[in-house]
Amino acid sequence: MLGGLIQQLLDGLTIGVVYVLLAAGLSVIFGVMHVINFAHGELFALGAYFALALIGPLGGGTGFFVALLVAPLLVGVIGVLIERFTVRPLYGRNPLYHILLTFGLVLVINDLIYVGWEPGSVSMPIPEFLRATVDVLGASYALYNLFIIAFGGAMAFGVWALLEYTKFGLIVRAGSQDRQMVRNLGIDIDRYYSLVFGMGAALAAVAGIVLGGYQTVSPEMGTSIIIPAFVIVVLGGLGSFKGAVVAGLLVGIIQTVLRTHVPILEGLVIFLLMIGILLIRPQGLFGSEAHDDDGGELLTGTGGVLDSQTRTRLAIAMVGLLALVPLGVGTLYSPYVVSLVIEILIWGLFALSLDFVMGYTGLVSLGHALFYGTGAYAVAIVLLNVSQSAFVAIALAVLVSAGIAWFVGFLSIRVSGVYFAMITLGFAELFYNVVSRLEITNGSDGLFGASAYYGVAGVGVDLDSIAIFLGSVALTGQMLFYYVALAALLGAFLLTRRMLQSPFGSVLKSIRENEQRATFLGYETTVYKRRAFVVSGALAGLAGGLFTLNTGYATPSFAHWLHSGEVIVMVILGGMGTLYGPILGSFVFFGLEDVLTDFTARWRLVLGTVFVLFVIFLPQGLVSLPSQLVPYLSGGSSPETEPTPEDPGFGGDG
Amino acid sequence: MISDSESHGSRRQFIKAISAGGAVGLTGLAGCIGDADDVNDNGSGGSDTVQYGVIEPLSGSFSDLGEERLQGTELAIQQINESDEYDFEIDYETYDSQSNASTATQKATEAVQSEGAQYLTGCISSSVAIAVNDFARDNQVVYTPGAAAVSVTGENCNDYVFRFETSTAQIAEVMAQWTADELGDQIFYHIADYAYGDSVKAEVESRLSSISDSYDEVGTTKSEFGSTDFETFISQISSASDEADAVVVGMTGADLAIFLSQAARRGLGEEIPIVTTTASFQPVLQGAAEGAYGVYSGVRYVPSLETGDNQTFVEAYQDEYDAMPDNFSRVGYESIRMVARGIKEAGTTDPTAVKDTLAGLEQETIFGSNRFRECDHQATNPVWMGECVEPDSGEVADVELLTELGGEEAAPDCETTGCEL
Repeated sequence: MLGGLIQQLLDGLTIGVVYVLLAAGLSVIFGVMHVINFAHGELFALGAYFALALIGPLGGGTGFFVALLVAPLLVGVIGVLIERFTVRPLYGRNPLYHILLTFGLVLVINDLIYVGWEPGSVSMPIPEFLRATVDVLGASYALYNLFIIAFGGAMAFGVWALLEYTKFGLIVRAGSQDRQMVRNLGIDIDRYYSLVFGMGAALAAVAGIVLGGYQTVSPEMGTSIIIPAFVIVVLGGLGSFKGAVVAGLLVGIIQTVLRTHVPILEGLVIFLLMIGILLIRPQGLFGSEAHDDDGGELLTGTGGVLDSQTRTRLAIAMVGLLALVPLGVGTLYSPYVVSLVIEILIWGLFALSLDFVMGYTGLVSLGHALFYGTGAYAVAIVLLNVSQSAFVAIALAVLVSAGIAWFVGFLSIRVSGVYFAMITLGFAELFYNVVSRLEITNGSDGLFGASAYYGVAGVGVDLDSIAIFLGSVALTGQMLFYYVALAALLGAFLLTRRMLQSPFGSVLKSIRENEQRATFLGYETTVYKRRAFVVSGALAGLAGGLFTLNTGYATPSFAHWLHSGEVIVMVILGGMGTLYGPILGSFVFFGLEDVLTDFTARWRLVLGTVFVLFVIFLPQGLVSLPSQLVPYLSGGSSPETEPTPEDPGFGGDG
Repeated sequence: MISDSESHGSRRQFIKAISAGGAVGLTGLAGCIGDADDVNDNGSGGSDTVQYGVIEPLSGSFSDLGEERLQGTELAIQQINESDEYDFEIDYETYDSQSNASTATQKATEAVQSEGAQYLTGCISSSVAIAVNDFARDNQVVYTPGAAAVSVTGENCNDYVFRFETSTAQIAEVMAQWTADELGDQIFYHIADYAYGDSVKAEVESRLSSISDSYDEVGTTKSEFGSTDFETFISQISSASDEADAVVVGMTGADLAIFLSQAARRGLGEEIPIVTTTASFQPVLQGAAEGAYGVYSGVRYVPSLETGDNQTFVEAYQDEYDAMPDNFSRVGYESIRMVARGIKEAGTTDPTAVKDTLAGLEQETIFGSNRFRECDHQATNPVWMGECVEPDSGEVADVELLTELGGEEAAPDCETTGCEL
């Protein structure tokens, strides 16, 4: 029994140490620079691949140790370059923009790994003497695991000593507590940013190499570890090195012990732990109570260059144009165009739902796929088990999504900023794990073969069996569904716009601008935010429900965090806080993807680059393009100056 | 390598007139609601080009398998187009499913509606394949999936789906028989906690309990799909190794490769025989490296087989790609050939006619005489049990075949598949 426990403890420490190395860099980068670095996982993978390339010619013995030294340095240099050329222009902006930026970098780096190396997993050769097993208190134990614990522990200790006992560490620590104060003391903290970023990247690379020797090396290793790493950072407290160490080891050990005794909880536990701790201690285990700032402006879209009458006309013209799309099938283009635009409309609705909370109350939900997935599964379950009426299914999907949004909102809205993003992510991942296992959702395969009629109580029509003839064009099936999707999107747009024009909307906007002042005016902001969140959740559920209604299936991937990430990308791409911007973002996202996938298998590389350029040069999204171009067209000067961390922001509605 | 198939720029031309589109020819009153049967589908007759949509996971976690399967597919298409045997040519477009059901169906829609594809092939993960299964039925196109999940030709089967990939049920048959004969019937299971793992356990269990009265499940551990740390489970398996005769591992891909290398480091194989479904796959062997030595595996395919015209295939594949084919390339290859013979036999490229001809059609394959069964459209592939052994040179294990089970014996009874065709 004791032997078993020690075994589990050592197993837990092995993975825990790797978590520590990853989370330490991530946490310090956030603490000092307020950068949510999704690309950290890719730097981790890059470290492992560089090591593979070095071990290749040198062999597994000395090669391994050479790689352990050289590969992190290389990745560190890449980290410095990333900071210099992509992250630096973004200082002073809300951390949200780093999500889009580093999301783009994830695509770029990941695709570069595919370009440079074979897909699939490969084993990393480790020195012969580390392959032995040793007996620890009666249990046999792989020596390499002990090496990971010792080496990782030493690395973590070194970083701790660096932070604790050097001037460099002193400044970094001070910067992570109060950036402005450090500046006021006459220290140019910006110079330290590149170094910190490079160091974090190098630590991630070390983690990648030691873990690569323990498991295998694959291009997906970064994506699979980044979410646990984030959870650990939040658990420990953003910016706290001590927190990263404690939380990393804790999660490693808890995961391992639970895996033995309560295996069902294994995938859920870190999220439950995170949600639980954030509810009790919103700043994490070792986070500082008052964070100096929530990290700069959200650059919401502005009024643009057109007056309101022209805008209305333009909007009506766009809707009219969209309404004509199915009529061109067979003469101008193939029916595929209709299918593609249906998907774009549904995602446009999904993005709009997110914009309603993100762009108007400043709540960044990193788990919006939860509601999309809820809507989709609700429709599938109702159609397969209860009623084949599309109306009943959609109504239930909206209701259930709204209910879950209320519950999630009730628990989450007390925390704000990055913590809110992480807690919503936690709920979404819980949902993803649960639907992947439940009987009623058919586990990891998902539900298939749902069909519906449009009506109630058995009276209605099946879109596939009727056709509307307009002159020479016959509308049936998908083409009819197209109008259902278009109507839903238009309805949602008008509804949310009306809400925003009401007193309710004014309060939401005031919360975004300055929540404290809204509170002083006597508004209970939490209640308003929760209501907005419920509306948003319901609309996201509608989007997911429509997707399943159209395609007849729902799979767990609908609720995957990448879906949540993509929808954020669409909102920022189009321009948040505009309602129509995110719809535009959806068109551009799918349009780009559709075109790029035709030309190159490496389309992620191009798409990622586009995101990076976008977030640097066009932070207010596509909708701001006309107003950005106006000065150039009229021969004026550049509309904005390069932002610096001092700059309190240059956009906003005001 | 795939770009040459994608260079037909025409797909992006939205202004592409669909001449076959029967809808254009319809005259009717404006706004009149009628019966959808009045709207013709793409009238497809006996034209001499067969349009294929090849949908593979070319990015994401299955991309190595997708690339490999694509190579097999392209080789078969090339051979058919160069051969005088067939009076039609195959034209195809390649799409990236991204291992995602909604992307795959979107690409399938593009293939069928935009390119006029009447035949689809590809997709490796079960969820994606099942989504395309339904799509194929709704759009009346013939589809040859690449997933091994039982339900693809089981409860999710339909008239238009024909599978040359060996099903997990067929592999489980040989695994169960061999394990009971050679190792014993006290079994410990370790599975990945998702559809594939569950089905491996269910299939092996049902067969073992019918083979042996004394069969017993000693224990089961489950790891999350995508797990990278199996130390805990290895400890649990190790402590059950006195009671259990073998551990049956229901995992594949990276999960299995990592499991095997960690198990080897702990010396698990010396305590208890490790029986797997897919350790014989090249990607697993490469990932596990020395960890695979001594591991037993069900075998769907190895290039050394002397069955049918396999050696001709292996030679052609080596000439073309300078590499040995593996399971997924042979599935891509023979899926195309079997359907092509069905088209030839039917004398038309119309998928609805071809599907009727193809079901039950005896043909010579790389596995020798074979057919898609009429009851579920599953190919009656033979299966083998093998052992991964240390190679003469290099690190990646060789697969040594231990026993063979004929196609008819390996296939599950038609009544038990859950498929009603």
